[in-house]
Amino acid sequence: MNNKTLTTATLVLALGSAIGLAAMPAHAADDMEKCFGVAMKGKNDCAAGAGTTCAGTAKMNDQANAWKLVPKGTCEKTASSTSPTGFGQMAAFTPKS
Amino acid sequence: MNTQALFSVALLAPQAACPSELFAGDAAASRFAVYRNNVFSSLTAALSDSYPVVEQLVGSAFFQAMARVFIEHSPPRSPVLVNYGQDFADFIDRFEPAASLPYLGDVARLERLRVEAYHAADCPVISAQALGAYLQQPEQLMQLRMKLRPGLAVLTSKHPVYSLWTAHQGIGDLASIHLAQAEQLLVLRDGLEVLLLPLPSASAVFIQALQRGEGFADAVVAALPLAPEFDAGPSLALLIRHSAITELEPS
Amino acid sequence: MRTFPCNRNTQARACELPAQAGLGLKPAFFEALLSSEPALGFVEIHAENYMVDGGPFHHYLGLLRERYALSIHGVGLSIGADAALDALHLQRLKTLLDRYQPESFSEHLAWSTHGPCFLNDLLPLQYDQASLDRVCDHIDQVQHTLGRRMLLENPATYLQFRGSSLEEPQFINEVIRRTGCGLLLDVCNIHVSCSNHHWSIADYLHALPLHAVGEIHLAGFSEDLDSSGEQLLIDSHSAPIAQAVWALYQQVLEMIGPVATLIERDNEVPALDVLLAEAGQAQRLLDRQGARQ
Repeated sequence: MNNKTLTTATLVLALGSAIGLAAMPAHAADDMEKCFGVAMKGKNDCAAGAGTTCAGTAKMNDQANAWKLVPKGTCEKTASSTSPTGFGQMAAFTPKS
Repeated sequence: MNTQALFSVALLAPQAACPSELFAGDAAASRFAVYRNNVFSSLTAALSDSYPVVEQLVGSAFFQAMARVFIEHSPPRSPVLVNYGQDFADFIDRFEPAASLPYLGDVARLERLRVEAYHAADCPVISAQALGAYLQQPEQLMQLRMKLRPGLAVLTSKHPVYSLWTAHQGIGDLASIHLAQAEQLLVLRDGLEVLLLPLPSASAVFIQALQRGEGFADAVVAALPLAPEFDAGPSLALLIRHSAITELEPS
Repeated sequence: MRTFPCNRNTQARACELPAQAGLGLKPAFFEALLSSEPALGFVEIHAENYMVDGGPFHHYLGLLRERYALSIHGVGLSIGADAALDALHLQRLKTLLDRYQPESFSEHLAWSTHGPCFLNDLLPLQYDQASLDRVCDHIDQVQHTLGRRMLLENPATYLQFRGSSLEEPQFINEVIRRTGCGLLLDVCNIHVSCSNHHWSIADYLHALPLHAVGEIHLAGFSEDLDSSGEQLLIDSHSAPIAQAVWALYQQVLEMIGPVATLIERDNEVPALDVLLAEAGQAQRLLDRQGARQ
């Protein structure tokens, strides 16, 4: 590719088409675009007192042993046979101290 | 050690004994546990808030256990908790119990970028008209540098992170996702909304090059190895439409 | 004792929160508050949540600040720490206060940092001469840097230090006398701490410098048992305000007259209407007290 050609013709064309495309409604320009509502909380709201659920009790939640755990969430639907590694082959995890 | 040092060391190490000698009363250890519990559960809540899809992918029990290990090893360094967990994705990559989900770290990266885009600085935008003026000065177009808005980021992954994320927003089907599929996406805030936009790989490289400060021509050239017929038009249109260009140089 | 104006730009804003009921501002309420503009004396934010560069939080706070008086309540300054205050954090606070010019700024009698770590809880202090001097120095530094008077909140605690040589209300009294700061009286915290440590609420209240109260907090607590089977109350901000706290609030109002009163709810946050009803209840008590005076 010749850089000179790129400058004079391609770039003008690209910019021109970009400005034209940008003026079109989003769904017409790119139907891959989707908008997701975002509801962020204030992270420091947890600090004023006890946190949620297990917080604010004198009892510590049973400390789940991370090395015994297997991810059990929506990933189970994902993985199925297409998982590159499959599940259930947990390596022991020892927290460094 | 002084009292606060003894207190904080025991606080962050759930296995450590409560420094009961500091306190009045017989039930000090159980009362000390309230503070310890508050620290871990409030920080876990902060992580859960920032990484909701990671939590859904692994389930709540796994997430809490993983968060606990993370918190013990990387307690916050700042009282501004919105920034807590910036290295959570790197931690997940090394967290062996999660090794069966090789995409988990990149899903965490995506969620981090959303938080950062959400809170990134507001700034004035370059209009399509201002850009259009360069159509009359093509000699300047080659070197034209476009500064992109704060918080804008391109994420490239070996995994289908965009599809995984959107499937948790009720779009698409988890079972049909091919986990070996690479995906790239653009994360940015437009007005008050954070947007996630999937990108072809050449577009991702093009936008990354613009963001590094390369001129228009160089940014297009950078994308050509991935798509010999690369047309920068659609990528640029995306940036214009979503108010992503904040400065032009030379202006 | 030095005195401080409420801020450097005193013409623009009144120096105090109005003696009315206010509500903790949650992002979930941004839109509803803007569209319905319910009658509230003020809104209160946690300072650290707004230490971000831009985006929706600042957008909505800017709009709401035009409609309501504002209280900025810090949760991370660690005034009780046995180390220097975080100068960078203090500067962030100054930037935020300069931007929004709140009617009130408050922080806690607690510590939450150790070395480089932020522990994200309001941890209890050993009350002795050394900690008293340190807290006073820190408050002097805060008031000097911010150029305004601050309010200090009494804590909810679960433990007492063997090494304490001062009682909590005496400690607070001395801090306020020496620094000229005001008192953010958390009525729920008084109930919780007095219950947890078998202190007399009457003695506690009478030992406090109630003339310095600039704001009241009302919140809900949770109940638990410690390992010896004793009741342990926890300041969880996750429940409706308890009857005992309403009663104590009424008693306080009879002692000091109407004062700006915040309904605090940080966890298990219900619908806005539920919290507005609690604010309405506080407002009725404030009105009744105001009419008596």
